[in-house]
Amino acid sequence: MLSDERRRRLLTAMAEAGIEELVAYGNAWQGDYLRYVADFGILEGHGIAVVKADGSTELFLDSASEAERAEVETPAVTIRFVSDIARAVGARLDRVANQRLAAAPRRFLPNWLADKGRSFTLEDGTALLDRLLMHKLPGEIAVLKRAAQLADEAYAAFRAAVVPGRRQYELVADIEAFLRRRGCPDNFMIIGSGGKDVLGMTPPSERRISAGDLVTTELTPSVEGYFVQICRTCVVGNANEAQRRAFAVYREALEAGVAAVRPGATAADVARAENDVFRKYGLGDYVTSKWTRVRGHGLGLFCDSKPHILEDVDTPLVPGMALIVHPNTYHPEVGYLVLGDAVVVTERGAEVLCKTPRELFEVAA
Amino acid sequence: MRRGLISHSKAELPDAVLDARLARLRAAMAEARLDVLLVYTNNTRTAGVSWLTGFVPYWSEALLVVARERDPVLVVALTYRVKSWIERTSYVAEVIHTPRIGLEAARMIAGWKPDAAVGVADLDGLSAGIADDLHEAGPRLMLRDATALFGRLRAKADPAEIALAVKAASIAQDALSRPPARGAALGDIIADAEARARGLGAEEVYIAAAPDLARDHRFRRIEGEAARGASFALRATVAYKGTWIRLVRTFVGAGAATPDEAAGRFAAAVAELPSERGFASFSSWLVEGCRIAQPLAPLIGSRVAAPDPPAPGALVSVQGSVEVGGQAVLLGAPALVGERGEAASLLVPPS
Repeated sequence: MLSDERRRRLLTAMAEAGIEELVAYGNAWQGDYLRYVADFGILEGHGIAVVKADGSTELFLDSASEAERAEVETPAVTIRFVSDIARAVGARLDRVANQRLAAAPRRFLPNWLADKGRSFTLEDGTALLDRLLMHKLPGEIAVLKRAAQLADEAYAAFRAAVVPGRRQYELVADIEAFLRRRGCPDNFMIIGSGGKDVLGMTPPSERRISAGDLVTTELTPSVEGYFVQICRTCVVGNANEAQRRAFAVYREALEAGVAAVRPGATAADVARAENDVFRKYGLGDYVTSKWTRVRGHGLGLFCDSKPHILEDVDTPLVPGMALIVHPNTYHPEVGYLVLGDAVVVTERGAEVLCKTPRELFEVAA
Repeated sequence: MRRGLISHSKAELPDAVLDARLARLRAAMAEARLDVLLVYTNNTRTAGVSWLTGFVPYWSEALLVVARERDPVLVVALTYRVKSWIERTSYVAEVIHTPRIGLEAARMIAGWKPDAAVGVADLDGLSAGIADDLHEAGPRLMLRDATALFGRLRAKADPAEIALAVKAASIAQDALSRPPARGAALGDIIADAEARARGLGAEEVYIAAAPDLARDHRFRRIEGEAARGASFALRATVAYKGTWIRLVRTFVGAGAATPDEAAGRFAAAVAELPSERGFASFSSWLVEGCRIAQPLAPLIGSRVAAPDPPAPGALVSVQGSVEVGGQAVLLGAPALVGERGEAASLLVPPS
């Protein structure tokens, strides 16, 4: 099982670092560290896992409903349902205060647990787990490929759902139902529709789809906890010349970014390759933080993992990393446009996971 | 991550309601001699900030800075590009964007008063990184735990919150109302329920299933294919404009006991809340509600070791498992705890 492979790798990393027990924190926003060590996809409340050097794991949860779910979904882990999770974990760590302990991500731990007044010291184990999260095992890559196929299918369903008069949240309802039918329990998705008035994507609103709209989405289904993202834009009706011209810039930027993905390159190299295309066309202002957050990011047990693809992030790319390259940003002539593909870094460069054509799609007005 | 409809309706959550909540908070702050109160939010701990502003982050995090003499300021880690979305979906005077929300909040407060008394709702549970940033940028600020203060204000639901819970309950009821087609796969049943809830404007929907009550009564999230038994149960956790409820429905096979008797016993047990007496014949039960920011925190129940009974007038979601005629029946519905000796009442009937 993939969770067993992860566990073995974690224990090896802990042994190499001399860590005797590892504490991993998670919630539904930052759940990847917890998922990696305890194989539980948390939805509500806080969760903290404590992993011993022999691999035995206790998972502390402060939601009774989540604790019940965890007992069924992660039978290999000992579940502790407690109202005050920080103090319960603290009492557990008091017993091993003389050992070398680390926590990840330390900055998200409850303040009480990280307080220097405790009997134990929690080193920052974030970098240790970040390495494991970023550098995927073959089994993890295989799951990501299944998620990518689902992302392609879900985007096809999305295009079918884009019908003038429908509200944004109704489109998302269709896609969530599509994914549940496929046995996919989770997805991250934001959306935009309109023209030059749209500065970015957000959760769906009550806005209705109209003829001429650019409809953007970032769709991110998960399989066994692994998220793969696809970004595409469609036009309601026939794309006009300005929209086609603008989209060509994004396609060129995506191709440049994907071409820059290779072992030895850095996240910054990929971002620079994308952004240079925009700068070439006089759109350099639109690759700044005023208009765009990141030019891509890691994929895995979180839909927005490290490394962030930005010109000041020097994380080296190595085989086994999974990323999305997405030169999403605002275009002054047409509005917000998105285009992005998930890739895996291989010895030979990028292997693109998604098969959906890099087109500015048109749907019936 | 939140991906349902996040919107702000002045008809459902009027400014006057939010102003009144803020006024009560400021009065309590004055009594406690707090200059400022901080409330943290992320997409799992939404219920403190949403109660004061309507703001619900779809991801990321924020701190609401409530000063006694100034308009509240929302310090968010979301980027500037979504400023207009935040302004559309919440009632807040000023929004500041920064990746280090603790640092920015402390700088701002220290600029007003370097040694301000700053209450923090759930100070112990605040992320360590944010607490460190508060200390770094406001070394003279006096941080105090304001959990009890905030919890007292948050405990009793006002009519607007009750109305939102009723709406959430009606969405969940609709989602679980239709009997599945003969032979329908569990994934299709869940998909249909979720589509209905999201199509009705739910902010979030989690559908959990106990696929075969003859084998296991516990709920889980379904991934891949799951066979269902003759009797199974679904639990819909639904958020609507910041207010969360759970509803449970058991689907029984032909010839099995109907859940009607169980529903009656459940309603009778709920009526006795906050007393636990009514649940004596239940094999398990749970009452959840909001104390500070977690929308559905455990309050009392068969597995809750440190009970925190709901206050009079509190909104809660109740779940229970009871056996009727040899058949396990799982039930759940939101309820309002009575005041002045009144019985607690279900917002929608269990079925």
